[in-house]
Amino acid sequence: MNDKTDVLTKKTSGPLPAPKPAPAGPGSYLVEVNLKPDFTDAEGSAAQWLLHCAGLASNAVRVGRLYDLRGPLNLGHVHTAVRELLCDCVTQEFRICPSAGAAPHNGCLWRVEVWLKATVTDTVGESVREALRDLGLPDVSVRCGVSYHITSKCGRNQLDKAVARSLANPIIHHFSLHEAH
Amino acid sequence: MPTHTAIPPQTPETIAICGLRPQDLQAANARHGWSLKEAELAAIQSHFQALKREPTLAELETLAQTWSEHCKHKTFTSPIRYNDGKKTRLIQSLIDETIFKATKQLNRPWCLSVFKDNAGIVAFGSKWALAFKVETHNHPSAIEPYGGAATGVGGVIRDVMGAGLGAKPILNTDVFCFAPPDYDGPLPKGALHPRRVLSGVVCGVRDYGNRMGIPTAAGGLWFDDDYRLNPLVFCGAVGLLPAWAVRKEVKAGDLIIAAGGRTGRDGLHGATFSSAALEGAQLSAVQIGHAINEKKLLDALLTARDKKLYRSLTDCGAGGFSSAIGELAAQCGARVRLEAARLKACDLSPREIWLSESQERMVFAVPPRSLKAFAEIFASEGCETAVLGEFTSSGRLEVTHGKTSVVDLDMRFLHDGLPRIERSAVWAPQKPAPIKAPTHKKSLSQILAECLGHLNVCSREWVVRQYDHEVQGGTVIKPLQGIRHDGPGDACVIWPHAATGDPSDYQGFAVSHGLNPAYGKIDPYRMALACADEALRNLLCVGADISRAVFLDNFCWASPDDPARLGALVRAAEGCRDAALGFGVPFISGKDSLYNQTRDVDGKDLAIPGTLLISAMAPVADVRKALTMEIKGPGNALYLVGWTAEELGGSLFHQVCGRCASCTAPAVDTRIALAAFKSVQSALAKGLVLSAHDLSEGGLGVAAAEMCFTGESGAILDLDKVPRRAPIYSDEILLFSESASRILLEVAPEHEADFIKALRGAPAKRVGTTMANPVFKVTGLDGRVALESDLCDLKSTWQLSLPRRLG
Repeated sequence: MNDKTDVLTKKTSGPLPAPKPAPAGPGSYLVEVNLKPDFTDAEGSAAQWLLHCAGLASNAVRVGRLYDLRGPLNLGHVHTAVRELLCDCVTQEFRICPSAGAAPHNGCLWRVEVWLKATVTDTVGESVREALRDLGLPDVSVRCGVSYHITSKCGRNQLDKAVARSLANPIIHHFSLHEAH
Repeated sequence: MPTHTAIPPQTPETIAICGLRPQDLQAANARHGWSLKEAELAAIQSHFQALKREPTLAELETLAQTWSEHCKHKTFTSPIRYNDGKKTRLIQSLIDETIFKATKQLNRPWCLSVFKDNAGIVAFGSKWALAFKVETHNHPSAIEPYGGAATGVGGVIRDVMGAGLGAKPILNTDVFCFAPPDYDGPLPKGALHPRRVLSGVVCGVRDYGNRMGIPTAAGGLWFDDDYRLNPLVFCGAVGLLPAWAVRKEVKAGDLIIAAGGRTGRDGLHGATFSSAALEGAQLSAVQIGHAINEKKLLDALLTARDKKLYRSLTDCGAGGFSSAIGELAAQCGARVRLEAARLKACDLSPREIWLSESQERMVFAVPPRSLKAFAEIFASEGCETAVLGEFTSSGRLEVTHGKTSVVDLDMRFLHDGLPRIERSAVWAPQKPAPIKAPTHKKSLSQILAECLGHLNVCSREWVVRQYDHEVQGGTVIKPLQGIRHDGPGDACVIWPHAATGDPSDYQGFAVSHGLNPAYGKIDPYRMALACADEALRNLLCVGADISRAVFLDNFCWASPDDPARLGALVRAAEGCRDAALGFGVPFISGKDSLYNQTRDVDGKDLAIPGTLLISAMAPVADVRKALTMEIKGPGNALYLVGWTAEELGGSLFHQVCGRCASCTAPAVDTRIALAAFKSVQSALAKGLVLSAHDLSEGGLGVAAAEMCFTGESGAILDLDKVPRRAPIYSDEILLFSESASRILLEVAPEHEADFIKALRGAPAKRVGTTMANPVFKVTGLDGRVALESDLCDLKSTWQLSLPRRLG
């Protein structure tokens, strides 16, 4: 087990069990930050409402932030970035995981990732990049995304349509759906 | 960090147009999305034929951007052959003959800069000035509501930052027109549902304003099915600047410095895009805002302004560098070296750098001696700068990349070469519908409840609570008022001296809006007067000095190529002129957004209703005396000022009950209205009034009910006492007529005699009394109780409507 998988195992807790480690390229890390399960996820409730308006019934939605960091970083740098900038360790938890194909956490039937298209300027990513530089970390490229863990017994096509009509705008976003079962 | 400034020299792409036939020119126009008219293409072709060379693509796009509806307001400045139903006349320039004419004629000395800078500027006290601008970001918000609205806010803030030598933004305003959030009709493929547009736009406005630390405190919402494909997003900003910083100039030899965000491929063709209907929108027209970058730019700009390190500035809006530098250099000339621009990616072509509409960028005219200090200040705020070239006295716009010429245009042709195309306009007045007996079976209580729950009246708390309206600590009268801070308000009052560091100065200002497209469907002229009248009354109700008020206009219309729609636009502009002259209130700035029409599912053009937003601003002498609208206690008299007439055309009553009376939209008699407003203002200034609220949608019934439930005090009204010139025999008309220029005022018994004295000559009558019982009661013309409603029920109907409709 390399450094990265070790970190994954250590840092994942509560509703975020360790996803299967996937090989990431050198200097390429994906950080996911979620609210701890004891905290009410207002953003998740808003997303649930949006999905409901788009015709999709769900029992719960939890929202996470995704940070795709690429550049001359090592795992120590990523930990510094997460602890000092990306994650409030009192209310949130994080994991460093691969993007596509990640196993959803227990009880969630679907996981949706929404990213800005590569041709669209990611202004939040730009701010994160500057903040990382201010922390003394190497200059990297940062793209930000959002993950939705949706408890729903819907079909893929139904979810795909609902997400395109509520959580993502296909003009500027691309999104991926991952089924739990 | 790589700077991405060095890119290999590229040969600019030229386009052979000199030998093209008109139809081939049109084909090239459509292919490149220039949105130019046939005569404009012909003018460009002749210009380059005379020069004996072909233009570069960058030159053509510079001309297309500069000559766009967005930048040149061609419809408002071109000749219009107008038939008003009786005779035909030629209007040489609609804007000159209506709005400008009124402002020029009024010639108010406190108007320091009107219609020439990025925002209108008025004096505020002896040391300060206020810059005010409202504009739209409709097309981008229809495609990407969050990003479109956020960049709309960012753009209007930059307009204020670029007014004079730079103003500090102290207030944001937002007015939206959408289809109802529970709209369940068909939508064409790719169109976003109105609920999605509403929530995205509100989030975009919220995030940009909140992140920049600017209160968002004055706004409005209007719902109509016909906005389902073309939502309207009006963003406004008010900024404060020292009186000495109003004048700006550019001198030959000044350096052209770009500051702020980097230039990328985002937002190409925004100006020409705004001059076209929405079909076939390109991804590149979508821009993403970066509020933090704009805040850094603002902080650096204000420091540099106070050290007088630059002579002029403007923001990069539609058209990017091409418009910004083109405008600054209009009276002199400019030499621009694009290789110096700081880029987001190194593969941008010179044309893309020149025309990119990347956000959060501004261009400054800096004397060479100030360059070092200027660059240091911006660097200290983490804000990048680049010297792009210098202003010259050549009268030419010369743009190069390395040794390659990208643009070489004569400034006179660029700014004055636009051919004036004559258009036709026709206005066919609607014949008033015959009066019919009411056919509905609803009681007055039911009608009142339906009016309060109507989307165009109900509580906007769901929207307002998302905005930070307290940041900067100067919001005196807030968007939500009353005992529990959850009732409606007429206008917001801002005390800007938290920003000036002079806490002993209690002068502030109020901002309000007037908008009612339902009247415009009947008569745009009356709509314009009614909107101006409403905006002014809103200011009056919070205690502002309306003798120093100013207006801003924003026209959103469908295609002006349709003579009937253009005729309606002419009517609205004439209404603005007559409102300004009648009330003595000048327009100081304005904008127009045309071509708001899109093909619906049936392939037919769905046009928005002709929409005019009139925004108003006036000083408040002492913010401690500003008034809120809720009833202050029991036992006080309620006075209604202004005549009530049978004017239900476009009214809420018609929407709730169907058309059952006259179809006349409310008329405004500015002479009578202004005299009454002055009397009310004098009573307010003497402290004789406890609360005031204007009568708008839903008339007396809605206004009185709102005052009651917001103050948690009941009231009893007697409809027989309502001031009227012609007899009215219907309780419904007296209670729900939307006659203009009316205000409901609460007066304590001990001040009644003085109040009546102050209002001598004005059409005013005591129409009711406030009471402790939490009920709203109305006595009809027959002396019996015509309506009795519990305040809690009325308030919950008003409060829960929007959340319910949102799902």
